[in-house]
Amino acid sequence: MNVKGSTIVIALVAAAVGALISAAIPRTAGETGGRGRTADGKPNFNGVWQAMNEAHWDLQAHEARPGLVTQPGIYKFDYAKVPAAPVVALGAAAGVPASLGVVTGDGQIPYTPEAAKIRQDNAANWIDRDPELKCYLPGIPRAMYMPYPFAIVQGNDKIHMTYAFSNAGRVIHMNKVEGPPDDTYMGHSVGRWDGDTLVVEVTNFNGKNWFDRAGNFHSESLKLVEQYKPISQDAIQYEATIEDPKTFTRPWTISMPLYRRLEESATVLDYPCIEFSEEFMYGHLRDKPLVTRWEGETMVVEVTRKVPEGDKLHEWYRR
Amino acid sequence: MRRRVYESLGVAAVLAVLVLVLQLSAGGQEKSEGGTPAPSGPAPKTALGHPDLQGIWLDEFQTPLERPAQYADREFLTEEERKQQDDDRSGNIGRNRRVERGSQQDVAGAYNAVFTSAKPTGRRTSMVVDPPNGRIPALTPQMQERNRLDREFRLALLQNTDTCKTKAPACNGGTYGPPSPRFAEVPANYNTQRMNRHNGPEDQSLGDRCMLGREPDFNAFRRIVQGPESVAIGIDTGQGQGYQRVVYLTGKHPPSSIRLRHGDSRGRYEGNSLVVETTNFSPKWPFRGAAENLTLVEKFTRIDAKTLEYQVTVTDPTVWTAPWTVRQEMKLQPDDQNRIYYEPRCHEGNYGLAALLIGARLDEKRFKEGRGPNPASQDTATDFGPGAGGPQ
Repeated sequence: MNVKGSTIVIALVAAAVGALISAAIPRTAGETGGRGRTADGKPNFNGVWQAMNEAHWDLQAHEARPGLVTQPGIYKFDYAKVPAAPVVALGAAAGVPASLGVVTGDGQIPYTPEAAKIRQDNAANWIDRDPELKCYLPGIPRAMYMPYPFAIVQGNDKIHMTYAFSNAGRVIHMNKVEGPPDDTYMGHSVGRWDGDTLVVEVTNFNGKNWFDRAGNFHSESLKLVEQYKPISQDAIQYEATIEDPKTFTRPWTISMPLYRRLEESATVLDYPCIEFSEEFMYGHLRDKPLVTRWEGETMVVEVTRKVPEGDKLHEWYRR
Repeated sequence: MRRRVYESLGVAAVLAVLVLVLQLSAGGQEKSEGGTPAPSGPAPKTALGHPDLQGIWLDEFQTPLERPAQYADREFLTEEERKQQDDDRSGNIGRNRRVERGSQQDVAGAYNAVFTSAKPTGRRTSMVVDPPNGRIPALTPQMQERNRLDREFRLALLQNTDTCKTKAPACNGGTYGPPSPRFAEVPANYNTQRMNRHNGPEDQSLGDRCMLGREPDFNAFRRIVQGPESVAIGIDTGQGQGYQRVVYLTGKHPPSSIRLRHGDSRGRYEGNSLVVETTNFSPKWPFRGAAENLTLVEKFTRIDAKTLEYQVTVTDPTVWTAPWTVRQEMKLQPDDQNRIYYEPRCHEGNYGLAALLIGARLDEKRFKEGRGPNPASQDTATDFGPGAGGPQ
């Protein structure tokens, strides 16, 4: 009972201290209270969150592009490329939005010369190489800014994140645990509070993940230091410093806000992509392939598309 | 049987880890006397005054889901009975059994006792505690008919194989005959089990497709992390096919058009328990045939510092004639050694699925060219172990 008693006292003291500290977190209008801090006085990150940016396309600043996959048009200029077969039937819905980028400082990713070449090859062979297309576990930091929501559940000595993409999960250990017995896709996360900032060191990667759909990648030597700083009760400034001497000449940092999903029933609805990727991965092994042209293990995509209907120009042209 | 070898290679590493984990647990845990939760301090509360459910939990004992008829309405075993069962199992050579060498049913050493670690016998005669006879209630007539049609289809795919010729258990209910025209059929319901045909991914079991994990799960390690508005449950089960659940303590279930592999879970605290209702299940991930109309009501109760009582009531009036309830006592597992396999990455290493589809295409090609047997005469679906084989 003594133990229980002192726990209560500690909890009360912590709550009081928390109440004092909580003034530091800016409050938004209409706040009903309780969401800004947890019972132990920490910033309250519990809830459903999502990045709202274009980092999942490319961490670096980039122009809008006409298609997820493009091919040279009649000009040799990069800016004059046109959508390629895999997406041409999707028209303007399958382009890539522009971004000012999330890489801090000069906005450059400091690849070694060898790694820079791999990155270029990755971009040129995106469809064949990006682990996202195969629904592999997305890794950290990529999972943090994919265009899907994720849930944070903030416990006593663990913080659990559940990502909609592939139902991936992650545990941030706020207490001391041994490392994992093997390298991982999602990393081994160990966190601590530095004032109101949650600082998480992530290690034990297997080097099979990418950062984005532009071919930016890292090796198994990746070490991440993430920082989660509350901006308000509904926004977190997320920063990740990336260190990987096998791939980069110096550490570099990405920074972006994460936003709370404020819908009343905000829920992480799974994106069960293992089955979504089966046609892509195993379609050539069917007895009767659904895609009409497989040449060995190469899917030759033939796009059937009707000329857009309902506009006068096309009606005139058809006559 | 070639497929089994491929799969063994593909998942051996994962299995090895799981086995190690189980063995460590069995050896390293403080055993409670007779499976009765040993008093180990009061049940802790969270700072908000709710029962603290956090930690890694495991049912450390082996208990059949349904009660063997001999125990009738008796819920618990005697100590002598438990010891007897443990002795029987540890001496059971069947866990390392081989069938006739060189036969299709023989898999060289795969899935023997090394892979199927055994937990000590628990004090319960069954996990099912309601109905009082410990048996799952009768299936509804429409479910019985659906199962009958399903089994009929699977047996048709086996009817030209040695499994049926030799009247092996996997062919129970079927007969030996020529290759069935039903090989060209699309099953009436979305397939989730093994069948003796491999036309594409959908002909494989959910396990072979790395999509096995679903609720309810009675065997997993689970890590519970508790926040003020939601509770996360990370489940480690089935050869790297674990999954993450988030139980929301606010809001309501999504519209019924939204169907989810693990359902949608909404919870509330009732006294010393967290009560969770889960609905919106997907027909692609049925539990014993129950999906769209399945409702789970789980109750997590922290009994003492080291024990979590888990209870789940399973209701689906289209599948069972009455609801039924499972109860388990789970023990707190050490957290610092970080042994839970919380990264389910079966899919990332699923060479088995590609390999068995490649194998099937090669078999067809060889048959077509007159260099191999008719694939319809080969059993590439059933296994020799009790409970492991045959059409489900």
